[in-house]
Amino acid sequence: MKRTPTVGEVLQAKGVSRRGFLKYCATTASILALPPSMIPRIAEAIENARRPSVIWLSFQECTGCTESLTRSASPTVEGLIFDAISLDYHHTLQAAAGDQAEAARHAAMEENDGGYLVLVDGSIPLGNPGFSTIAGISNVDMLKETVAGAAAVVSIGSCAAFGGIPGADPNPTGAVSVGELVTDKPVINVPGCPPIPMVMTAVLTQFLTFGTLPELDKLGRPLAFYGKTIHDRCYRRPFYEQGKFAESFDDKGAKAGWCLFKLGCKGPMTYNACATTKWNSGTSFPIESGHPCLGCSEPGFWDLGGFYEPLSTGNFDSGEKLAGAAVAGVALGVAAAAAGRRRQAKFTKEG
Amino acid sequence: MTSLEGIQAAAFPFHGNVRPILNEVTHALDRLLETGEATVIDLAGLPFGPGELEYLEASLGTGELSATLDALGTSCIRETAFPGVWWLEHRNALDEVVGRYLEITRTPEILSSQEADIVAGRARLGDQLGN
Amino acid sequence: MDLLEFARGPALQVAAYILVAGTIWRLVGIILLKEKPEFSEPRARGGLGAALKVIYTRSFTADPFKPATLYPKILAYVMHIGLFMVVFLFVPHIMFFEGFLGFDWPGLPNSIIFFGGVAAIVSGFALLVRRLTHPVLRLISNFDDYFSWFITMLPLATGLLIPVRLGVRYETLLAIHIITVAALLIWLPFGKLGHTFLVFVTRGTTGMVFERRGAKT
Repeated sequence: MKRTPTVGEVLQAKGVSRRGFLKYCATTASILALPPSMIPRIAEAIENARRPSVIWLSFQECTGCTESLTRSASPTVEGLIFDAISLDYHHTLQAAAGDQAEAARHAAMEENDGGYLVLVDGSIPLGNPGFSTIAGISNVDMLKETVAGAAAVVSIGSCAAFGGIPGADPNPTGAVSVGELVTDKPVINVPGCPPIPMVMTAVLTQFLTFGTLPELDKLGRPLAFYGKTIHDRCYRRPFYEQGKFAESFDDKGAKAGWCLFKLGCKGPMTYNACATTKWNSGTSFPIESGHPCLGCSEPGFWDLGGFYEPLSTGNFDSGEKLAGAAVAGVALGVAAAAAGRRRQAKFTKEG
Repeated sequence: MTSLEGIQAAAFPFHGNVRPILNEVTHALDRLLETGEATVIDLAGLPFGPGELEYLEASLGTGELSATLDALGTSCIRETAFPGVWWLEHRNALDEVVGRYLEITRTPEILSSQEADIVAGRARLGDQLGN
Repeated sequence: MDLLEFARGPALQVAAYILVAGTIWRLVGIILLKEKPEFSEPRARGGLGAALKVIYTRSFTADPFKPATLYPKILAYVMHIGLFMVVFLFVPHIMFFEGFLGFDWPGLPNSIIFFGGVAAIVSGFALLVRRLTHPVLRLISNFDDYFSWFITMLPLATGLLIPVRLGVRYETLLAIHIITVAALLIWLPFGKLGHTFLVFVTRGTTGMVFERRGAKT
């Protein structure tokens, strides 16, 4: 493996002072949701870390995840690309295309064999490999080929992590998640539709800083950002407890910023950092803007029954079956009554 | 259809998130006075309702001392109206906020001249003087 | 299909069918029975008015029995009122009903609901202790009594666990809660829990018969 400069060396070469470096480490601690007391350790780790090679594969996706990442403020994605990682392949962001781009990908894979990160956004169609191809190569083939020498795979966005919108009912392309196809390498899921930009960069920063992958929950999501539900961190929670709910989108409750449970908020079952980290550099998040949480970081959130159906509604089938049950009840009741009457007649006759 | 101006935000930001932070600052000041131990509070990880961050900043106010740091973007380090309580706001090269902290300490570490920088500067000065 | 999907979907659906079928079966089976022949002269009409009157008056103990029944009566009222509050005045439950009724009604703040739920469970346990220690009750209680108690307390307990959490994920607790509710709905029409809807039939019938025979109602 070719010797790459450490991040400390890169920053020093760029004329960044120690103070600037401390600021960089402080913001890194913030990104990784680590306490400020960890800053000295982070400083030591970053100084000695080498820039990992990153290959980004885009499959059946809407490019929203890349768009979200390019809005990441800390660090800026340009800064991230040039300072911290070596983004050797990303067919939306890179200038090259076709054979040259594929050659660059293969070169990166060979040079960094066993040590590069593969980032994937978009689901992989298994119904017909021709549904989604890059340079004539099907998604599933490109994925298998690229992860072979990878250190780890990161599924960016709900499509890569859980199948997302292509995987929603009726799933016409046979879309599957990365985790269903990659079983011999560590897979980190960073779901969301799209994920919060800072969360995406945090996973990369963690790998860069400590050379390790973050602690994951049972769905493979970094606990630092997906450990708590929106509901448990929502600033409107006091209104939920007090029983103050918005009933419709423009009523007085909605204007006063009351809880959106009745309007279908999936906050109680959604694990993500939106309520604290927020979006657009901490500007706001859906609930603060008046819209209930969709649950976009949870598997199958498109098929949860309805964005505007409250969580506590049952998923009932049809009224006809219930009517059928009623008819059955009447029939059983008549039969029971008939038997009962026969017994009654017997007693009355005897006694 | 009501216009955007017709939508009123809550006049007084009441979501209960500011008071606990101010309490924590009080305890940190006690610790600082008793043992000299400094505390750093990362405001990025705390939930704020609309207007609450501004309310926190206004509650803490501005003191006599403020400094501007130009490194990988601008940072503002200023003492609040409560001595020992410092407000640090880091921005990157695109002027976006990348970090906000409350430091309860006598002097935030980042204000001090750093060893590595002093060494590099001494070398530069020596070169300038020809020795 | 994960546990929550199963709970909110097939489990509740099957419970709903069995609840409807079972309730109608029991009601129709009772109502269609022949009336016992009345051999005495009717003193009064004994119609719907009498039925409704007794449904109300039976809520209060007759004077001679008051001292002996005061303790269980208070416990039972606390339990029933707590259960009513929790089921019908908790906003997420109201939303559940609105899902198939089409209308909703105002609820109470969560803290009051939690208090009501705790009161219901505490009084429920006190009633169980009484049933287990009182010499007569111990003799006459059967599987129906104990199982009906258990299947009613279970949703109450699992529901109260949800805000308490105990380190378990919200979706898991919610799924378990909904499944225990489904179990309750399945058992409800049968056994003594059927008093939920049958109490009105029995009290009403008693009222009509008593008034016809000139007894005090």
